[in-house]
Amino acid sequence: MKKSVKATPNAPAAKSRADVRTTVVGDRLSVEIEGDLVLETVGAVHDALSAPLGRGPRGVTLKLAGLRRVDASGVAIAVRLFRFTKSQGIPFEISGIDGDRKLLIDLALRGQDPIPAPAPIAMVRAVGIAALEVWTLVADLLRFCGEVSIIALQVIRRPKLLRWSDTLSAMARHGTDAVPVVALLGLLIGAIIAFQTYDPMAKFGASLQVSDVVGISIVRELGPLITAIILAGRSGSAFAAEIGTMKVTQELDALRTFGIDPVRFLVIPRMLATVLVTPLLSVWCSILGVLGGYFVLGPKGITFLQYVFEVRNALTVGGFLQGLAKAAVFALLVSGIGCLAGLRTGQGPGAVGVSTTRAVVCGIVAIVVADSVLGAFFYALGI
Amino acid sequence: MPSSDTIHPTPPSDRKVAIALRGVSIGYGSRAIIEGIDLDIFEGEILFIGGGSGCGKTTLLSSLNTLRPPLTGSIVIDGIEIAGAAEDTLQSVRRRFGMMYQLGALFGGMTLLENVRLPLAEFTTLSPAAMDDLARSKLGLVGLAAHADKKPSEISGGMQKRAAIARALALDPPIIFLDEPSAGLDPVTSADLDALIVALNHMLGTTFVVISHELASIFSIGHRFAMLDGVRKRLVALGSPTQLRDSSDDVWVRRFLTRTPTGDS
Repeated sequence: MKKSVKATPNAPAAKSRADVRTTVVGDRLSVEIEGDLVLETVGAVHDALSAPLGRGPRGVTLKLAGLRRVDASGVAIAVRLFRFTKSQGIPFEISGIDGDRKLLIDLALRGQDPIPAPAPIAMVRAVGIAALEVWTLVADLLRFCGEVSIIALQVIRRPKLLRWSDTLSAMARHGTDAVPVVALLGLLIGAIIAFQTYDPMAKFGASLQVSDVVGISIVRELGPLITAIILAGRSGSAFAAEIGTMKVTQELDALRTFGIDPVRFLVIPRMLATVLVTPLLSVWCSILGVLGGYFVLGPKGITFLQYVFEVRNALTVGGFLQGLAKAAVFALLVSGIGCLAGLRTGQGPGAVGVSTTRAVVCGIVAIVVADSVLGAFFYALGI
Repeated sequence: MPSSDTIHPTPPSDRKVAIALRGVSIGYGSRAIIEGIDLDIFEGEILFIGGGSGCGKTTLLSSLNTLRPPLTGSIVIDGIEIAGAAEDTLQSVRRRFGMMYQLGALFGGMTLLENVRLPLAEFTTLSPAAMDDLARSKLGLVGLAAHADKKPSEISGGMQKRAAIARALALDPPIIFLDEPSAGLDPVTSADLDALIVALNHMLGTTFVVISHELASIFSIGHRFAMLDGVRKRLVALGSPTQLRDSSDDVWVRRFLTRTPTGDS
């Protein structure tokens, strides 16, 4: 059977042409190719071989004596036949070429033996691997917490150990720079709460008590929560990316070889800065949230003095401190998780991205879990 | 692949011009780094471009590969003027060359096979099976067929550079640009890479434009050497590497090619 193959449509300007003749002698397939075995024709030649190979020959011979041109793509036909015959355990030979063309094909065939697919991992082994990964994570987490605690105690005893300039710089980047976005979200959340609760409460004649709802929910709960979520998105991811990039570029190794502990040098300033600024941001968010509530209730006939008086009556010192404590705990979690994700960054160009994602997702999950636990704790204390 | 001791630079027999530069100035903003480059790069030659650090080698390469237009002058690749050309013209020119970046620039999320397959999937209508075989054959040419299913992070720096050459070869371009192919490689890997360049140049007639400081490579496989000088802001030498080393009138060129410190006369 002879098949003439012209240039494939992806190369309209090409004038290449290849003729493929396949014959079966006994149970051995002979493939004779003449003309140009190049990028423009190789697709069609490849397709033309599918049917003869599908008939299960017991050996293949590739005859290339009539070849006019061959390029680095054309040799893919030899690679295909080589891999086919190897996978079937049948003989393969090439004839009719020498010199550079033979060298080209010989080079292309190096290491082309099909690699058997790895056996599927047994479920027990998969579970074991997953368990080991979890154990490594837990061990890293415990080691990190221990290291941070020890170094924090050392810093308390000898404040000179702290890099104050880095701490102040981190406070500016992760505190001051976050003021506008925290304000915007606080304002809108306060307004939304007032907007959504006004109508149902007005039915019971409790329009003024919407102020209580806004005040309590924002100051105790949503102020710290919104601030922490913004913190996870802005700062947790930034910590993971900064420290992760330093790990990939061996800057962490450089610190260690100088005898400088990366936790003291990089982690403590970031965590301290975050723990100091987050409660302040949370207060700022709460103020704006309460103000946002008034923007909805004001037009409903509630005066500013009435609103402020009602909010002040609804809030307690305990509730306010509860909000501050939550914000500090959230900050500790988000910054710790971000820094740990950075320190655990793997190798390769995608590793920093993986760490950043992990920092944000784990940070937000940790915030919500901690909020639930703290909420129950403060409730039990009667605060 | 020929062993490194069998490599002898063969001057190109066909003198057709693949890339022509006329009065080219390159730089950033309005600041020129190199001015007035006149240079013909011939089909099938291996041209090395060298010079001191920061002299504009990589900037020149960025202009040759169409990513950074020259400040002034004309660059013609395969008969097409690229200085000031429209984006679709540049796209068609980009199909005529392959590029290997200094660090390989392989896509980290893909296997080597997928890296080489990507240009085929984007620019041809081949079947998936044919694309796989083509990608495997290109990886075979650079000795990486057995590593086709690994990711770049799982192989060495030298292997990454070879994989990047395989990717540059994906569409069988007549011209390949290499940016510092030997940087950071051990001498044996570097010699293997040289052998690969010569083999591809011999077998496929591919034109290679190589940015490199590697004197061993320049002398063993370079047909010609072009030297840029960032202080004088011009192309100061062009010719056979050995002739330039032995008989160039320019002291700086001789120093460069003989690795002589500036303190020595």
